[in-house]
This record gives sequence, structure tokens and C-alpha cells, in this order.
Amino acid sequence: MNNFFRVLFFFSLLFLVACSSNQKVSRIDPNAVVDLSGRWNDTDSRLVADEMIKDCLSRPWYSNMIQQKGANPTVVIGKVRNKSHEHINIETFIKDMERALINSGTVDFVASAPERQELRNEIESQAGNATDETRKDAGQEIGADLMLTGSLNSIIDQDGGEQVIFYQIDLELTDLQSHRKVWIGNKKIKKYISRDAVKF
Amino acid sequence: MNKIALLVFISFLLFGCANKSNVRYDALSQSLERGGFSGAIQTIEKEKEDLYGEKSAFLYHFDLGVLFHYNRDFKKSIDHLTKAEQIYEDLYAKSVTNEAAALLTNDNTRPYRARPFELLFLYQVQILNYLAINDLDGANVEVKRAQMAMEALYQKDSEKVNDNGFLQYLTALVYEMNGENDNAAISYYKAVKAYQEYRQKLPTELVDFTSSSLQKNGREDDLRQLNIPNTETPLSQSLEEKGAEIVVVGYAGHSPILGEMRMSGTFVNGEGLNLTYTDGQTGEVKSFTMLAPIIAQSGTATAHIAFSLPEKKVLPFNVYDFSIYLNNEPEIYSESVTDLNDEITRNLKDDWSGTVAKTAARVALRTFAAQKTKKAVETSNPLLNLATSIGTDVASSQLEKADLRVGLFMPNRIHMTRIPVAPGVHDLDIAALDSRGATVSRFTFKQVSVQKGQKLFLFIPAIK
Repeated sequence: MNNFFRVLFFFSLLFLVACSSNQKVSRIDPNAVVDLSGRWNDTDSRLVADEMIKDCLSRPWYSNMIQQKGANPTVVIGKVRNKSHEHINIETFIKDMERALINSGTVDFVASAPERQELRNEIESQAGNATDETRKDAGQEIGADLMLTGSLNSIIDQDGGEQVIFYQIDLELTDLQSHRKVWIGNKKIKKYISRDAVKF
Repeated sequence: MNKIALLVFISFLLFGCANKSNVRYDALSQSLERGGFSGAIQTIEKEKEDLYGEKSAFLYHFDLGVLFHYNRDFKKSIDHLTKAEQIYEDLYAKSVTNEAAALLTNDNTRPYRARPFELLFLYQVQILNYLAINDLDGANVEVKRAQMAMEALYQKDSEKVNDNGFLQYLTALVYEMNGENDNAAISYYKAVKAYQEYRQKLPTELVDFTSSSLQKNGREDDLRQLNIPNTETPLSQSLEEKGAEIVVVGYAGHSPILGEMRMSGTFVNGEGLNLTYTDGQTGEVKSFTMLAPIIAQSGTATAHIAFSLPEKKVLPFNVYDFSIYLNNEPEIYSESVTDLNDEITRNLKDDWSGTVAKTAARVALRTFAAQKTKKAVETSNPLLNLATSIGTDVASSQLEKADLRVGLFMPNRIHMTRIPVAPGVHDLDIAALDSRGATVSRFTFKQVSVQKGQKLFLFIPAIK
């Protein structure tokens, strides 16, 4: 009989443990690699940006463009499609890439299509409201030479609590005049995730 | 006396996780009746703890996600359904402590992880949410997540529900919108397969689009395998000619919820379990015998047991069908593409034997424990003995509560109608019809603008 109460008491304690919660917050280095769920995270985004920037700047397309144009090529960001299984903010690595290329002084960027629309609205608004000296004129935009487009794909293999996720990010620069592709960069990331079927 | 104190302490602990399912629907159906979808949303948000609690966090987000979808607040719907899906994933690992608590009390002490049809419905709504806000990449992501979820369900138990014809149909639509015609053909094929496998009525428009897609992609063998006619595809041809379409998604009627079915009988440890119950649908008294699980250290003890199990509870509703008038042209009748009433029935049937065996063993274990407890706490005071005996029996019976948790606002059936249109501006008048074809309510869409190649989605939430 005593055994019965011991068992019951043990389960009750377990029950109490299950109901308790504990939260701790600490600041960490933004470059630290922390993988919690196995989903796409800041580290993946950074790895893609680093690889793409390095590859993009080391390929011959750039010197060819300089020779041809005699000035820095101008790039516009086109559509980068997320075809993966996760809702991923692609803008994070695209912005990293844009910033690195601008800061390198080798490539100029012009505003993307939605940004341009907002800028044109502002210019239109200035036309009726700003002073003559400060007003900006329409029709003075710089036309881009190249468009950056791409996609993020994923393939998943899963069995029970185990998963292998393969991400492939492809970016390409296309000459807007000739539609010739001048650079294709790609980055592959593979992850193995295992989950326990039982926890305490 | 110490033993009594311990017993009281433990009982107090276990009563902490009470069943909220009984009150939830009553409270929310009133809010829905009085304040519509917004009223129900407000009540859920205001009374989160009382109506759902931590253990039903999945349902809290699931119900809100569905209501926000009906209320055309697609972004909030996405947020809540994403949280619900996250909770489902986080509960992949079964907690030993929760399982132990459920063993002592009832299944309501476990965090609710969703029934397979709820999970598949969640993905249907998520895909539709993203299509509603013209986020094709978002819809694409949900399609892939849905495919992973179906694969995981298949791996878990290939005999139970792990596929859904409407979900595959939506997947085909998303692939078409992506321009991935090969993948669309495969999804059309899978959609027909799923309807056939679960013996559901094949929507005629799905047959039309599947035939067309498989023929165009050189998959005549697949078409023959499906055994569906492939000669006429008027809808696909019309879509090709006109170049755009309006897709009307109607939610007809209210899905059933879960009520309690009382069962009683005899449990002979390790030998047999004989149970009698009243069938909620037919009112017929039924009994059956099954092998009883073995409860350790209880020999061939016999116990009279009584407990409750979840059973389907049909709710009253008015809307069964829709008729659609486009630009005052002849009316188009909508077709059902999924039946949540069937899904609940199938789910309860899939889980029936497992739930009965598990619950009966738990109740028998508790009955044996209660008998031992009464003996252990027996004193020389007959009045105290009587009080202890009654208290033990009441505590033991009160602990057993059927797990009635289920999504409360799913429709009874989903109708989908694809209407090929020329690019331009269109007027739609949609009537929600009762079982005799009389109009219950009307939904009017004026000057709907459709662009070339677009699939424009309109939603008719008529769950009352």
C-alpha cells in the first residue's frame, strides 16, 4: 500500500515540475552561431551574403563591364523568389549584399521598382508644394545596367524525428540591354536535424 | 491521518487541470450569434485563460486564425495559424510528465496537439490566406509545409488520415500560378487519388482540370490509372480562352463539435472488457467486448467501470449550398470540395479502439487504487470511513473527463467554384442556400477587377 502512495507522490511531483516555467535572457555576439530549431536563421543569411559578395566581386563580369562602360555598373534589385518551405525574409541577405557592394565602391545601385514608385510619388508631391530651389525634377533617374534576380529553394527528406534540409540560393545578374547573364552565384546549405520523441 | 492529508493534497493537485471544453462552445456560440465573427474574436481574446488555458494553446490560435480568416483579416489569420502550427511542432516530443499526469487524471491534462484533419484544414486556410493577399511565395511556402505535414502523418500511421483531396487541389492551383505545370499535374493526380481513396465525391471541376492538366503534360497513363473520363474539359478550355478566373470559396454550415458519450461495463484485468453505450446518432444501445489491457500487480481483479468518450455532436446550421450569378449570367451551382463532418467521423473511428482501451485501463486502475485507498485509510470511526469512501469515489469519478477539445469554427463543408472570366471588371451576386434551395443570405461583390492570368479568390463565410 505504501508503495502505491510513493508512486502517486512521485507522479504528482512530476506533474508539478511540468507546470513550472523559467525564462532567462542574455545578450550575445551578433556573429555567434546559435541553432535552436534548425530553421533558417541569421547565420544562414550571413553565410549566403558573405559567399555571394565574395563570388560576385571576384568574377570577370565586373572588369568587362568597366571596360565596356568606362564607369561603375549600376544594378537594380529585381525579384528574388522564396521557393523554400519556410517563410524567410530574403531582404536580410540581399540588403547585406547591396551594402557590401556599395561600400566596396565598385557597383552603384538604383532604387528597386516599389522604392522608385514611392520616390516618384514624393517628386510629384514636391512639384506642387516645394520651393523652386529645392524641388526635384522628374525624368532624371539613372537607368540600371544590370538586374539582380534569384531564388531560394529547399529540399527536405524526413523520417520520424530526423530531417535533412537542403537549401540552395541562386542569384544572377542580367544585362538589361542584351538580357545576357553576366554572373550566377550560388550557395548551398545542408542541415541535419534530429528531434527526440520523448522529453521530461 | 497523514495518509488522508496526502490523498487530499494529491486530489487537489489533480483537479487543477479542469476540462474547459464544456463551457467553451456555449460561451463562444453566444458571442458569435450576437456579435458575429468580431464578437467571437473579442470574447476569445478577452477570456483566453478561462476558455482555453495553457493546455489548449493550439486551439486558441487555431480558432482565432479561422475566425480572422472569415472576417477577412488575412494577416492576423496568418499570424495565429502560424503560432498554432508552431505549437503543433513544439509538441512533437511527448512529455513524460504530461503523459504521467494524463495516466493519473485524464487526457485533458495533456497539451492539445491537433487532430490530423485540423492540421490539414490549417494548411488549407493558410494557403487561401496568402492567395487572398496576393502573396504567391507565401502560398508556395504553405504548400510545401502542407506536403511535409502529410508525409509526417503518413509515416506516423499510414492507415489513418494522412492526405486530403482539397489540400492537393489547392496545391495544384498554387503550382499553376507559379507556372510549374509539371508539379500542378502531379498535384491534380494526387488530389483525385485522395478523393478516391477516402471514397469522397469527386468534384466535377476537379475532374475537368485534372484531365486537361494530365493530357497537356503527356501523362495519359496517369489519367487511365485514375479511371476518369478525359474527353471533355469545357472549364479548362474556357479558362484558356478567357485568360483569368474568379475562384469562389464558400464555407457552408458549421462543423460538428464533440460531446460526451457515456460508457459502462466490466473490466477483468488482462482478460476481457465488456462495455455498453448509447449511440448518439441512432439512439441505439450497443455493447461490445474487447481484450482488456493488463494492469500490473492487480491479478485478475474485476471492476465495474463507467467513463465518457468523445462523440460527434452535430450543431444546427442553415447553409448547405451556394449559387453564383456572374454579371447576371445563368446561375452556377457550387460544389463541395471537402466535408469536415466526414473528417470528424473518420477521425473518431480511427482513434476509437485506442481511446476505449486506454480510457478503460485508466479507469480500472483508478478503481483498483480507490479500493486500496479506502482500505488503507480505514479508521475505527464509521462516519469518517463513510465520508472517506464517498470522497474517494467522487474524486475518482470526477477525474475522468472525456477529451472534447476540437476546433470550434470549422465549416461543415467547403465549396469551391472556379469561374473562367475575361480580364476586366465583373459583378458577382452569391446566394447562400438552405437544404431546400431557398436563399438564406446574399453576398454581393461589385466591380471586381480581374487582370489577365489572375486567379482572384473571394470568400463566403456562411457557417451559421
